[in-house]
This record gives sequence, C-alpha cells and structure tokens, in this order.
Amino acid sequence: MRLMRLVVTGTAGAGKSTFVRTVSDIEAIDTDRTATDETAQIKQKTTVAFDFGRLSFGPRLEIHIYGTPGQSRFNFMWDILIQRANAYVLLVAAHRIDELVKARQIIAFMNERVQIPMVIGLTHRDCPGARSPEEIAMRLGYTDLSNLPTIVTVNPNEKNSVLETLNVMLMSYLMSQLAPDLNTVPARQNFGQEEYRPRVQIVR
Amino acid sequence: MAINTERLGLILQNFVSATSDVQGAALVTPDGLPLVANLPGAMDEERVSAMSAAMLSLGERIGKELARGTIDRLYVEGDEGFSILTSCGQDAVFLVLAGKTAKQGVLMLEIKRAVSDLRSTLFNVGQPRPESSIGMMSRARSARA
Repeated sequence: MRLMRLVVTGTAGAGKSTFVRTVSDIEAIDTDRTATDETAQIKQKTTVAFDFGRLSFGPRLEIHIYGTPGQSRFNFMWDILIQRANAYVLLVAAHRIDELVKARQIIAFMNERVQIPMVIGLTHRDCPGARSPEEIAMRLGYTDLSNLPTIVTVNPNEKNSVLETLNVMLMSYLMSQLAPDLNTVPARQNFGQEEYRPRVQIVR
Repeated sequence: MAINTERLGLILQNFVSATSDVQGAALVTPDGLPLVANLPGAMDEERVSAMSAAMLSLGERIGKELARGTIDRLYVEGDEGFSILTSCGQDAVFLVLAGKTAKQGVLMLEIKRAVSDLRSTLFNVGQPRPESSIGMMSRARSARA
C-alpha cells in the first residue's frame, strides 16, 4: 500500500472542508471554529488548523487529504501542510471574483516553497455571477496558455465530482513523475517506505 | 453590551508586568483574531493569534479523539521558555509566553486568576470583581516600585 498526501487549499468559503468531508472514508477530522472575521458573512464556521480525511483509491493506494485554512493569517499552516504534499488542488469559488487576488497570493506562497503538481478546482459554478474558467485563469495570472495548470469544475458536495478531481490530481502527479522537466518537479520522491514509481494502475 | 477592551488591556498589562518571567500575553478569538495583546516587540499580533487558535483547536481535538476530556490548558515547553494556552470561555483563548526560569506553580495560579478576571470582563458577568483586579494592580505597582 502506498501513501499519497494531497492538500486542498483556496480562499475561505471555497469548499475545502466540504471537499475533504465528502470524499473521506473515515469521519473527517475538522478544526472548525465560529468565524468572527469577514468570513462570517459567507459561513458560520471556519477551519483554524486543518481538515484531515483518508481514503483508499483502489487496492494499492491510500490517499491522505489535508484541507488548509483559507485566511492568510494561517499561512504557517499552509507552509506546514504543503511541505509534505505530493500535489495540491486550489479551490476557487467561481462567483466570488474579488477573492481571486487572495487565491493568487496562495499560489505564489506555495510556488515559493514547493514545486509540485497543482490543479485548479472551480467551485460554485452554478451560482449566479459565476465566471468562465478562461476568465478566472486570466485573473489568476495565467496569461500564457502554455503553462496553464489543469482546471476542473468540482462540486465539493458530490463524491463523484470530488473523486474526479482527485483522479486529475493523480494524473498530474504521474505526468510530473514521467516527464519531470515538462511541467514540475516533485518535492519528494518517496512515499512512506518505498520509492513511488508511476506503475500503479489507478482503479476507481 | 460592548466589550471593554480598555479594561482587558489593563488586566493583560498588569498580568505581564506583575508576574515574574512572563514575557507576553494575548487574548484572541477561537478563530484566531487578536482581542488584546501585550507581546514582545518582534512578535506579530495577527500571527500569534492565528497560531494560538490553531494550537488550541488541535489540542481540543486530541482531547476529544484520544479521550482526554475537556482540555484545561496546552503547554509548549522549549529550551527558551514556555507557551501556555488556556481556554478563556467560549469566545476567547488566552496565550501566555514565559521565560524558562518561570516558577510553574506561581505561573499557573496567576494565569488562573487572570483568566477569571478576563472572563468576567469579557462576558460582563455581573459587575467585574473589583477586589481581585485592584489586588493585581496594587501588586503590579509594588512590583514596579
């Protein structure tokens, strides 16, 4: 059994905790506290340390998913969690374009620390005012289409949708292993005990 | 009724100056925002507050998941000193930074006293008890004198 660590990040209210809770095989661990900052306008509770969930992805792969807090005052947690991650997904609420500046700051923060595969997950696409993936990519600073990360639409409340996103993340990871110079270089080669080679067949 | 931050600040200031080896203290919300703080110069209030909230939430998780019950306090001991986190009612977390020479018994008693003062001010539990805080203030004065 191989272990893979994935991180779910993004701004407050993007759906990170829901994402982890939906897909976890065990009852997800959360560290929610009543929000008293501007997040309180979006939702009642907010993550202050991390969310943790675990799932088996086929018979040979176990995935640990860590959800980060959204607010930048918790960026020490972003740092702790991303250091050991194999890939991460940035959740972006497609209807809150004012938050994109913050999302961009998260990308910069992560890029400074690790070079691991990243996927952008657009949430809230069914909400009024939701923007197109193209516009969001541009607003996130991806003007050059050649280095665009994979962008998927995800509904954090639906297990299949979340699994689909995990699948895309795994694929990006495997691609980065096969052709490291093409896109990104993995931060760490080893998964738990033995070295991970991209020969695992992904069974869903 | 509004929170009397001035009074909270005063209690904190007295606590930090009157208790020997205490280097700083902060009262923060459970989601990691500063209420009042009295910290060593180099420390950023926002960051300290967020860390306190994260730490206490994890401690409480451990208490729950590992069947340790309700957590009274969390204790981080380093070779330069202690950080002690105490829950201060539902709406606040109290962080104390103390040097390594601090007498732990005294520290715990002083923290307990400060927490009860902070709580009564924070939640307006009747009138704040003047005796105890005046006691603290006069001790603060005598300590400074």
